[in-house]
Amino acid sequence: MRILLIEDEPKVSRAVARGLMAEHFAVDVADEGQDGVELAEIYNYDLVILDLMLPNLDGTAVLRQIRRKNSGVPILILTARDTVTDKVRNFEAGADDYLTKPFAFAELSVRIKALMRRGTANQSSIVRVDDLELDRLTQRVRRTGKRIDLTLKEYSLLEYFMSNAGRVLSRAMIIEHVWDQRFDGLNNVVDVFVKRLRNKVDDEHDHKLIHTVRGVGYTIRDEAP
Amino acid sequence: MINTRSLRFRLATWYAVLLAATLLLLVTSIYLGLKRYLDWNLQRTLAAQCRAIGTELIPELPTKGSQWLASETVESYDPEVNGYFIRISGVNGQILYVSGSPKDYSFDPSFVPRPPIPAGNDSLRNVKMPDGHRLIIEEMVFTNPDGNRFLVESGVSYQRVDEVLHGLLVTFATLLPIIILLALAAGFWLMRQSLRPVDEITRRARGITSTNLSDRLPLFDTGDEIERLSTSLNEMIARLDTSFSHIARFTADASHELRTPLTILQLELEGIVQHHLLPPGLVEHIESALEETHRLSRIVENLLIISRLDFNAVSIDKSPLDLGDLVASTAEPMQLLAEEKSLLLRCEIASNVYVEGDPSHLKQLILNLIDNAIKYTPSGGQVTIEVAGGDRYAILEVADTGVGISSEALPHVFERFYRADKARSRNSGGAGLGLAIVRAICGAHNGEIRVLSSEGLGSRFHVELPLIAQNK
Repeated sequence: MRILLIEDEPKVSRAVARGLMAEHFAVDVADEGQDGVELAEIYNYDLVILDLMLPNLDGTAVLRQIRRKNSGVPILILTARDTVTDKVRNFEAGADDYLTKPFAFAELSVRIKALMRRGTANQSSIVRVDDLELDRLTQRVRRTGKRIDLTLKEYSLLEYFMSNAGRVLSRAMIIEHVWDQRFDGLNNVVDVFVKRLRNKVDDEHDHKLIHTVRGVGYTIRDEAP
Repeated sequence: MINTRSLRFRLATWYAVLLAATLLLLVTSIYLGLKRYLDWNLQRTLAAQCRAIGTELIPELPTKGSQWLASETVESYDPEVNGYFIRISGVNGQILYVSGSPKDYSFDPSFVPRPPIPAGNDSLRNVKMPDGHRLIIEEMVFTNPDGNRFLVESGVSYQRVDEVLHGLLVTFATLLPIIILLALAAGFWLMRQSLRPVDEITRRARGITSTNLSDRLPLFDTGDEIERLSTSLNEMIARLDTSFSHIARFTADASHELRTPLTILQLELEGIVQHHLLPPGLVEHIESALEETHRLSRIVENLLIISRLDFNAVSIDKSPLDLGDLVASTAEPMQLLAEEKSLLLRCEIASNVYVEGDPSHLKQLILNLIDNAIKYTPSGGQVTIEVAGGDRYAILEVADTGVGISSEALPHVFERFYRADKARSRNSGGAGLGLAIVRAICGAHNGEIRVLSSEGLGSRFHVELPLIAQNK
């Protein structure tokens, strides 16, 4: 899996590239728009991450040029511009996703996975994390064979956790997934919500599955960190 | 209705007052001058008559007799027809000739009293007749070579002068108000003509706000003060335009400049936390730093939201929306927070309350108000959210039974970074920007927000947003 990162701020590109490489992606970095367009022409990338404020060639122009040559590659916009107008303009130019700085690496990583998975729906109906089992067809959840009753939203959250097992999910991502909106005012709602899910999933068990990653978010995994 | 404080009215009035004063002065001097002239003229005529009789007829008297004197006088002066009074008498009182009543019978000459013999050669006297008529009489004494002295009196009714002067006064009294009224109207019209560009400038200037600073006032190529006024106003608007676009640029630049280092900080710290070989103590420090980075990011975001709303750098995207639906969907996740604190969160929502707004901004507003209410209400309390359609405004109220706001703090709650209770708010993670954002959002939607609160009993935030006519 090969990713092209077009970002002019070296520290940002270094940190993102390092994170992606830790997740076993191959990463090429272009620190300027024209280079990015040329690289995208030469190599068949699986994904392009594009900053909007670039020297010489503006991000949106880069986006249009890449789209003209290679219509299929998923393009994720990474930018400090967050006005609605900016977003609409770039979605119209062919962007697939939009992430505003500052962002958690975990969020970038989950979005990348989602973009790459797009179209290839090879999700099995049953997901397991240790002794916790979730059936997507019947929407039933069991732990050590014992049924756990969840509300719709709790199920949605647990399903989100389990599909991304081992990955840290930020509060912003949880809000977006469960309530379908982006708000930072709801952070404490997420905390309460996760706490309730924990009560149902982990309370009766010594072996905890849902973990807090301070300063980042929450994750589900079958081993202590 | 005429605005009596307008420049137009005041100037026209001043003109009229000054004109009236000038005219009055003129009329008075004309009146006095004319009266003087008429008096003088009359006296001159009378004196000439006396002198003619005295020098041409009296010396002939001894030879031709008083009969001749009488007929000659009538022939020369015809006093009855001309309305004159003529009397010729000896100083001893013997009357040689007296004219008859004038043909208009304005006076009876026989009633005119005899004057004392004047000391000098001539004198002028006024005689008031019993019927009220005034006569003006010139008298002269002549001495014949034989030593006899005669008194010649020539008079006329003063009525003629009175009539002329009276006529003049009547003319002035009728004309003066008309002239002044005409001058007032003309002045008013002239002022309006010359001030019309000012009205136009006023109208256009009123339409210029921070969103259309590129507009300019109309220029009148008249070379006068008004052209200067609109030119300088335009220059001022141009300067405002420049500074506003600087502020807008600053906001856009600041968002980029602040976000990039925050991104790096966050990514680097996350990178370290993921590292498994760190000593546990250090992990705690890094996590704490990471939390503060998040808080800093939130503050930066909120400040940017406020400054954008304040400076209209982003024209907010308004569309008609059902305020009740928006409140209900926003309150739903907050129910969880309320339950956690054992609060009762109640919604009383009227249907079909439509407002024009940016849904994400309005959602933020609702969320901040509810979040605030829950935060400051102790367990067992109640938070009520109400949406109602008013007369012209949609009303959103968020009321709680919480700790309330002290009267000293109340005027400041919407200020940036203001905290009513420093310790408490810091623990609950806010930066004191929530209500400032609420107010900025209200302002951007042409709405209003008020707060009522009594300490220990609770607070009530009252938001009014312009209602739109629903066509469905």
